[in-house]
Amino acid sequence: MSSDLATPGVWTRAQRASVERLHIRLESLLVLVALSALMAVLSPYFLSFSNLLNILLATSTIGILAIAATFVIGSGGLDLSLGSVMGLSGVVGAFVAVNLGAPSVLGVFACILAGGIAGYINGQLVTRAFVPAFIVTLGMLGLARGLALVISGGRVIYGLPEFMLYLGQGRPFGIPMPVIIFIATAFIAHCVLAYTRFGRHTLALGDSESAARAAGIRVERQRRILYTLSGALAGLAGLLFSARINSGDPTAGLNYELTAITAAIIGGTNLFGGRGSILGTMIGALIMGVLQNGLNLLAVQSYYQQMAIGAVLILAVFIDQYQVRKESRV
Amino acid sequence: MIGKMLRMSLVSVAALSLSVLGAQAQDGQYGVLMKTLSNPFWGAMGQGVEDGAKEAGVDYFVQAVESDQAAEPQLNVCNTMLERQPVAMITAAINSTNLLPCLKAAQEQGIKVVDLDGNLDQAILDKEGIEITFRIGSDNVAAGAQGAEYLVSQLGADATGAVLVIEGLSGNITGQKRAEGFAEKLAELAPGLEIVASLPGDWDRGKAASITNDIMTRNPDLVAIFAANDGMALGAVEAAYAAGKGDQIVIIGVDGNSDAVKSIKDGRLNASVAQLPYLVGKQAVENVKKALAGEEVPSDIAVPTLVLTQEVLDDGSEPLLEYVK
Repeated sequence: MSSDLATPGVWTRAQRASVERLHIRLESLLVLVALSALMAVLSPYFLSFSNLLNILLATSTIGILAIAATFVIGSGGLDLSLGSVMGLSGVVGAFVAVNLGAPSVLGVFACILAGGIAGYINGQLVTRAFVPAFIVTLGMLGLARGLALVISGGRVIYGLPEFMLYLGQGRPFGIPMPVIIFIATAFIAHCVLAYTRFGRHTLALGDSESAARAAGIRVERQRRILYTLSGALAGLAGLLFSARINSGDPTAGLNYELTAITAAIIGGTNLFGGRGSILGTMIGALIMGVLQNGLNLLAVQSYYQQMAIGAVLILAVFIDQYQVRKESRV
Repeated sequence: MIGKMLRMSLVSVAALSLSVLGAQAQDGQYGVLMKTLSNPFWGAMGQGVEDGAKEAGVDYFVQAVESDQAAEPQLNVCNTMLERQPVAMITAAINSTNLLPCLKAAQEQGIKVVDLDGNLDQAILDKEGIEITFRIGSDNVAAGAQGAEYLVSQLGADATGAVLVIEGLSGNITGQKRAEGFAEKLAELAPGLEIVASLPGDWDRGKAASITNDIMTRNPDLVAIFAANDGMALGAVEAAYAAGKGDQIVIIGVDGNSDAVKSIKDGRLNASVAQLPYLVGKQAVENVKKALAGEEVPSDIAVPTLVLTQEVLDDGSEPLLEYVK
């Protein structure tokens, strides 16, 4: 097993460069591999195709929220309303499709639109009303959750139409639809952040807002788009979860914002902006997913699970920071 | 240095896991999925499962999530439990739909599914084509009604005055059922007692105390408070005594937890409709064993609730008292 725990030092400069061209930090990949190896040793149920799908399925909603968090945090912003907006979107989608009896496509559209509107309001308030993002999105956290409870009357809205269900429960080629949508979303988001002008502007904004402004980036507009995108992604997550359980659940996504932000930070996103990559975030989300899955397979009591997750968070970010500081000293 | 630290941490995580792991999985296990363990109610139910399993000589593993609101995490835990291929899944779902995909998969694998504490909705199960072996739990509507019966037995059917209902977390079905059961029965037995407010206390003792303060100010003629759980009832007790109205207001909780029992003995809380979670857990395991052996098991097993008052506790002859933890 010790070969799985190779120290970063054994990698040559060339190998490191080839990995980092993909915008991920070697250290977090190492933690993921080591963690998986550990779980495989500890539990006979860990290494199977069906369990791999379990992990990806369990990571799909959090993973999509983590993509949103990477964009917003990378730009020096913060979105604490992710989990609540996810819950609201699922309820709105279910309300439109079930209570209003609208066609499936409208239900799907309503989920993403509801999220996008919540995000757009966040963006407007942050850029035009000059309320700090922390407060705006914290306020939206309460607003969206409350609205979800109001619309649903506090109960789950059950019985989604066929097409919406397919998005959550369909299994083309044996792969759950949420996993396919998650991976596709991550791929697109990675390309946008790493290779487009929009992505470069996002990270430039996080690096230094004044410098970005001086360079001619339309800072406010960029931020509004980012918050709207973040809300729409939360809407997508809400859609997938609703479709999985065939109902809009007003309590869905409770506290997910913190898990999503955690995944982004473990994946190397700088909490204060300027640095971030979607591939890194995916590794961060998978670290959390593998850890949770492994601890579940081992039937570790939930109290200890929370401790283990907290410890791994600190450890993963410590390793990452250690490497960053070492490089900057050279 | 990093490698060393990483190794050390992994070893300690491994040690931690192994120390809490106990026995590794074997065939013929019962999987028990709770909501959360950080609550005396679920703790007592877990204890009942453990004792029931020991007596019946069956192997089981229990899992839970961090809070009784973690719907998707519970679904994920449920899915991973299926990897261990248990013979039965005894599940206390967080809401009526969050476990549906997992329960369906369990059924397809030939695993018997049990609804612990009655959180599933039969109409939804029928539509999804999920057949559960049985449901077991206490009837929350009946528990609320028992609270109303106790209140009327204290104040009389002709009593008049304002009544406050403190509900559970907004959107939680258990709290809703208790509040509904109480309101319906009260309207039937003593129409003169008017519910002037029914507010969500979010299962929170402090919030319940604030609500009580507010309503005592608004309705000085408040004669009774029904809270959907004991924690909130105890918050209401504190607020009522602090306002000097402790002995004028009848306060009733639900659950029968140890704090409530102590408060009733001290003559502060008037009554608690005790659920018997220990008995629910124990009987669940016993009935699963019967069902697996091919015996007939009723599809709906209602575990009784018991109104705890100072008299009942002092008297001590009620046989169900043994299960009040």
